[in-house]
Amino acid sequence: MKQNVIRILLVDDESAIRRALRPPLIELGFQVADVSRGEEALQMLHAGAFDVVLLDVNMPGIGGLETLRRMRALAPRLPIIMLTVRDAEEEKVEALELGADDYVTKPFSTRELIARIRTAVRRVQAPARAEDAPIEIGQLCLDPVKRVVTKRGQPVHLTRKEFDILHCLMSRAGRVITYARLLTAVWGADCREEVEYLRTFVRQLRKKIEDDPSKPLYLLTDVYVGYRFADAQMFLEETEEDETRPNLPEEAS
Amino acid sequence: MSVRLPLSYIPVRSAFGASTRPASRALLFALECALGIMAVVLVSALAHWFGGLLSVSVLLYLLIVAATALFCGFWQAVMVSLSAVLMQGYFTTRQPPANLAVNPANWVVLLAFVLVALAVSRLSASVARHASEAESWSEQVRDLYEFTRRTLEMNLHIEPGPQLAELVHEIFGLEAVAVFDAELHKVYSAGYWAVEPQELAQNAYYFETSDDDAKSGLGRRVVRLGAAPIGSLVVRGGTSPVTNDAIASLIAITFDRYRAFANESRIETERRTEQLRSTVLDSLAHAYKTPLTAIRAASTGLSEMGHLTEAQAELVALIDEQSGLLGTLTTRLLTTARLDAGEVKIHATPVGVASLIEEVVASLSDRVASMKVVIDIPDDDLVVPCDRQLMVMLLTQYIDNACKYSILGTGITIRAVKVHAEIIFSVHSYGSVIPPGDRERIFERYYRSASRSNRASGTGIGLSVAKRVALMHGGSVWVTSDEVEGTTFFAAIPASVQKRVS
Repeated sequence: MKQNVIRILLVDDESAIRRALRPPLIELGFQVADVSRGEEALQMLHAGAFDVVLLDVNMPGIGGLETLRRMRALAPRLPIIMLTVRDAEEEKVEALELGADDYVTKPFSTRELIARIRTAVRRVQAPARAEDAPIEIGQLCLDPVKRVVTKRGQPVHLTRKEFDILHCLMSRAGRVITYARLLTAVWGADCREEVEYLRTFVRQLRKKIEDDPSKPLYLLTDVYVGYRFADAQMFLEETEEDETRPNLPEEAS
Repeated sequence: MSVRLPLSYIPVRSAFGASTRPASRALLFALECALGIMAVVLVSALAHWFGGLLSVSVLLYLLIVAATALFCGFWQAVMVSLSAVLMQGYFTTRQPPANLAVNPANWVVLLAFVLVALAVSRLSASVARHASEAESWSEQVRDLYEFTRRTLEMNLHIEPGPQLAELVHEIFGLEAVAVFDAELHKVYSAGYWAVEPQELAQNAYYFETSDDDAKSGLGRRVVRLGAAPIGSLVVRGGTSPVTNDAIASLIAITFDRYRAFANESRIETERRTEQLRSTVLDSLAHAYKTPLTAIRAASTGLSEMGHLTEAQAELVALIDEQSGLLGTLTTRLLTTARLDAGEVKIHATPVGVASLIEEVVASLSDRVASMKVVIDIPDDDLVVPCDRQLMVMLLTQYIDNACKYSILGTGITIRAVKVHAEIIFSVHSYGSVIPPGDRERIFERYYRSASRSNRASGTGIGLSVAKRVALMHGGSVWVTSDEVEGTTFFAAIPASVQKRVS
């Protein structure tokens, strides 16, 4: 897979983390610029072009979330991945609501980080998909026009709401959809707090689309944050490299 | 209101002369007599010069006698009466005093004078006694008030006995005081004791003697809280029995307040220690985060870059694995610290049991990947009112534990059933048997069974978290373990919302 060099802007106040991330990323063919403050990062964005930003949430100065807000205003389509810590689920949700594309939880593995970077960049660079074109991920295929879902070519019977949830997740495959956003999209803003309701639906949905609902491959949970539909690329890589390991899920504490 | 009382206050019994010296009393007596006699002589002289007064001079003498009896006393009045009879005889009959005794009329007059003196002096003494008693009572009440106030202001950080003995001694102006605290088994004394007060006070307690000895001025009281004796009080001095009762009651209340206070501050100290420890844990865990992230990023970066020999790759994998372990441990420390500090508030909402368990298993997928996990929930729509985040912690701990200790190749069964008013979660696995003596204690923090400590990584924290979570929901945890049936960890959570009682 040949692709252009990805330019990364790494923003973290901890020099140890910048020093640990730089060499492998450069070695693996990325271009890396690193800064320690949100303010510097915004200046860098003005000065040059980047393909992706890795942004720490906890920083002195204006902080990660404010930096994110200003970056979004500057560059609406720029992929931004937040570097967060565990036990800060509210921060993650807030970052996603503010327009972050994704997040990784410290301490993360470089492998996971690179996978997230590639997914985020690919999503932006991929040609815009027609709204009503069928979505194919792994062995699942969803046709938004006919409102039909098939698995290995066999139709899967879904209720209207189940289809809506699946559509919402599959059309943004690879990205975390927060509970609130998913609830708003399917049931309306009045229901944005009814997470338990959503869980029941997701459970039913998993029974229908997953081979083993207790070890889901498609409909993944981001603990306390939301759901994520597996990225199509992951299934391609799997078949190419003949690797059976799915995307590394969140570890629970 | 602060009424400072004179310390020289003289108790009621010594008011009647016992403490006044005889010499000055005699002088006072002579002075009073002389004054009365001078008044009699004056009246006689006036009666002599103004002849008109002669007929009423007896009445005037009577007035003087009555006044003397009223203000000075009976014997002074008798002396004045005698002088009046003499004067009367001399001025009216002009006879030498020797002849006066012969006239019976003089005897009648003297008798009348003495009777008046007696009646008036007795009345006056009774009025004076009542006034003095009332005064003394009001002073004792004021003393008791002062004593109450001072005990309330007392420093309860130190044992109250010495302070109480000193206060009683000082405020009630007693000769000597002894207070016995039965719980501390100590006698505290103040003032001068001719005999050793230890035995005196202890005997009053052990023989439950409460009496007042007027002769020695010794008062003994058993200090009781409700009906239970908790000490004793012995005083020597002038307080009345009722006052002694009141002092004993106040001492009982103070002892009780001291115990309650000591207990309260002990609990408070424990809570603060716990909070401090939690804070230290919390900041440590946070401080570990950044270096851990850097280590993990570096080690995984190394393996991502490739070009490693097999041995190098193995070492890098080891670094990665161990830093991951350290990360998990840090997270657990944080969680425990927060639970312990009471920072975690319980938000109970109805949670679907099936989706809860499935999610926990899914989040542990890298751990359970190599194991056969069976989820057995007979009622698919079972709902438990709980704090989802906390219950996830509990179940994660149980399942993680089962993975860690189960024999390779055996499976894990996770169940949830409703039994009466509880929902019982259980995680079953086959692994090393937990000895009966350890089954309670493995839920204690930092406890790791001696037989297990070298078998798998662990901190001895996780199960205590599980227990705490169950308790916060008003539930309970336990474990069964034997060779044949395997090991099962249980958690019972009430099926209806309960407020935690604590």
